[in-house]
Amino acid sequence: MSRLVTRPTQQSITGPPPRPAARTATDAVRVLAVGGESGPGPLQSLRQWAIDLGVELEWAADLPRATRLLAGGRWDLVLAVLGDRSDEDLGWWVDALRGAPGAPRLIALADRPSMGLALRAEKLGVLDVLALPLKREALASALARVRSATTEVALPLPPIDTEGQGHYALVGQSPAMLEVYKLMARVAHSTATVLILGESGTGKEVVARTIHQHGPATAGPFVAVNCAAIPENLLESELFGHEKGAFTGAVARKIGRFEQAGSGTLFLDEIADMSLALQAKILRAVQEREIERVGGGESIPVTVRLIAATNRDLQDAIAQGRFREDLYYRLAVVTIQLPRLVDRGDDLLLLLAHFARQFAERYAKRIDGVSDRALELLRNHQWVGNVRELRNVIERAAIVVSDGTLRSEHLPDELRAEEPGVPERTTSGLPTLAEAEARHIARVLTHTGGQIGAAADILGIHRNTLTRKMKEYGL
Amino acid sequence: MRVEQALRLLPNLEALMPLRGLLLSSARPDERVQWGSGGPYLTVGKRDVEPGELARTMAPVLAFVAQHIGALYGAYVEALERQERNDAPGAVTALVGAGRLEEHVGRLSQAQAWYEVALALAETLQDRRPEVETLLAIGHVCLALGNYSEGARHYQRALVLSEAEFNQAGAVDASVGLGTAAFERAEWPGARAWYSRALRLTEAGNDGRRLGLVEHRLGLLDRGQGDLAAAGDHLRRAREYFEKLNGGAALDMARVLDAQGELDAALGRPGPAAAAFREALAWVRRDEHDPGLDVAIRLHLAELLLETGRWLEAEEEMRRAEQLAITSNEPRGLVRIYTVLGTLRGRQGDETGFVFFEQAIALCRALEGPLVEDARVYHAYGLFRQVCGGPDEARAYLERARGIFRSLGMDADVERVEAALRNSHGVNTAAGGAG
Repeated sequence: MSRLVTRPTQQSITGPPPRPAARTATDAVRVLAVGGESGPGPLQSLRQWAIDLGVELEWAADLPRATRLLAGGRWDLVLAVLGDRSDEDLGWWVDALRGAPGAPRLIALADRPSMGLALRAEKLGVLDVLALPLKREALASALARVRSATTEVALPLPPIDTEGQGHYALVGQSPAMLEVYKLMARVAHSTATVLILGESGTGKEVVARTIHQHGPATAGPFVAVNCAAIPENLLESELFGHEKGAFTGAVARKIGRFEQAGSGTLFLDEIADMSLALQAKILRAVQEREIERVGGGESIPVTVRLIAATNRDLQDAIAQGRFREDLYYRLAVVTIQLPRLVDRGDDLLLLLAHFARQFAERYAKRIDGVSDRALELLRNHQWVGNVRELRNVIERAAIVVSDGTLRSEHLPDELRAEEPGVPERTTSGLPTLAEAEARHIARVLTHTGGQIGAAADILGIHRNTLTRKMKEYGL
Repeated sequence: MRVEQALRLLPNLEALMPLRGLLLSSARPDERVQWGSGGPYLTVGKRDVEPGELARTMAPVLAFVAQHIGALYGAYVEALERQERNDAPGAVTALVGAGRLEEHVGRLSQAQAWYEVALALAETLQDRRPEVETLLAIGHVCLALGNYSEGARHYQRALVLSEAEFNQAGAVDASVGLGTAAFERAEWPGARAWYSRALRLTEAGNDGRRLGLVEHRLGLLDRGQGDLAAAGDHLRRAREYFEKLNGGAALDMARVLDAQGELDAALGRPGPAAAAFREALAWVRRDEHDPGLDVAIRLHLAELLLETGRWLEAEEEMRRAEQLAITSNEPRGLVRIYTVLGTLRGRQGDETGFVFFEQAIALCRALEGPLVEDARVYHAYGLFRQVCGGPDEARAYLERARGIFRSLGMDADVERVEAALRNSHGVNTAAGGAG
């Protein structure tokens, strides 16, 4: 089973001496100030402080001019005065700065910024929200944070043994993953149905493909169906096929995925997203080993090996009557539970190296290092989307990297916002009770996807109370 | 509950259209789905909607609907009062005003109905100016609905009346409308003749905004005909005219920059193209926000990224456009976004990308928008199916697109689809031969 795993040939980050970052902390910070149609207005004092603060300042009166300047040069920082629609303005700026040369950070300036605005800014990765009129100390503190990013030290990426399955390679050697490999090795050679459980982005399809490639069905195709992606009304015909004219849009006979898989493996991803009616049809296919096309009367035998996966708690779904218990037991002959990325320790570094090489090749770049700060940010992130999220982050970074080293500036603003040491907005350095409450409410609302009812349940308060507090804090 | 499930419980009644809009705009993606394997295929139908939240947000929507209907009723009563006072031109103005209100909220067919009533009244007047105004309004809405021949007919009449009345502004607008009706059907010589005429008329009047608009249209025409250098000159002049208006034409400026971006993209200059699109977005932001235009520019930016192989960035841009279209209730924008997302998946050889076309088709059916949009979705779906399995389906979708384009008199599009069909036939024949 060792060929399933791409392993590092070098355990720790050692090798060539660290390279300094391209820019030094003593260089002037290039700042683009935006706002005020007839002059820098609220930013007037900025001109007086510029030399003293080590700032190279340019000013744009309005958004179109700012956009031209942004496209024409590299900037470290953009100071933008938000208008009456401060929330929308903030979102606009975050969007406008994505991919701008030099990956400039944003400081938003607003008259009496609300707590809601500050929290949203924090979530979007904005460096800071400062109140107008601008205070010298507040700006100096933000500039210090921009400068500190220039002292990053490059560390070489560990070499990875590329003996794997290319795009679908399993990477990692953490104890949690070694348990997964052992289980995979045990089931791969049987034809048993497998149920793979794990959070979103933990690699369920990769595991399914690997089992297929090392199992008796390997000569046949591996057919994956994403049950969560396909519209409910089309899923049945996608799985079982249909006869011409079976329904509006059935312009020709279609062979379903069960038949396409033939004697290979059918991987049903996100199986919990299937309706109960369709679950019954899947159960019949698993039990009777035969299917019927939609609009067809003929029973078609199938010999496919079934692997199913979900990120949901199936026991809970059964208890709520949303998933058939009999189907669960048919599918869960062998269950493999995949670990979260945050529980995989140094696998993060191996995955980072793997993806960095993969995308460096795709985008014709050279990536052989990661900065200490970028690595720290990656290690501290919560990775809700697990390996898929990491892969996304590294792909985005690979697009913008220029000198062979992944730095914090190449990471998304959301990650950079998690940088430790962001000062609180009170003089004592500790949040006020209201600030802590607003922060917690914002976090819960994010968790519930903005659904107030669900958030009120979690917070243990009445919905009306929550609505009032949201209004109060400008959330 | 998923939006696709919620929509199944909502009958397709006109009175419920605002509720449908509310349902879509309040939909949110489940975080687990976003990062799950279904995330890359997420469409508005797979977003979640909470009935309780719908109930809470219904009040402002109902208030808006009541206000809108109140304004329409008000316009009608005003038309009656004016008519009673023998002020028929005033009655026409009130009826046209009602049509503009409908047009403003995207109810184009309803707007046309108001304009037609206004036209019937205007035709009885001695003063022809109300008739010209109404004809121009109908022509505009016809073009927006993709009814180009009908639009051209109305513009033609508006031109004749304007010239007879020495109404220069009316004659310019009618000529531009006629040019656009021809342009949309790829009748290049006709479009050039009309735009050139509009330019001559406008130059005599020294109307900066109209000059900019005509130069913009000429730029689009030259780009359509492949004369990119001439197109660049026209767009530059359009920009100069709009710049002189000191920000008074921010949305016009955004449209010109959007066209400039497309021109740069056609010239193989992705950097300047992206810069032009970004500046266009800044102009949109500067004026009263027009989410439809914002979405359109973002889509062009995404298409540029798609063509230059920057798929990840293309997808991110499309997702931003999608979010904007959903929250600002611009479902027609979603049709175009999902069509491009499906095309992107086709380039990636990802068969599951068909879900985007299915979502676009479902939206077309629900929105009952211009037929030309349906045709564009079927055309793109057919091309997708040619690459990602299903030659029979590919042919069926392409034939459907050809039928619609043909019914609209869009010969250039018919030719493009036929070329794809010939290609499809070639593929099938080759596959048959190999078998």
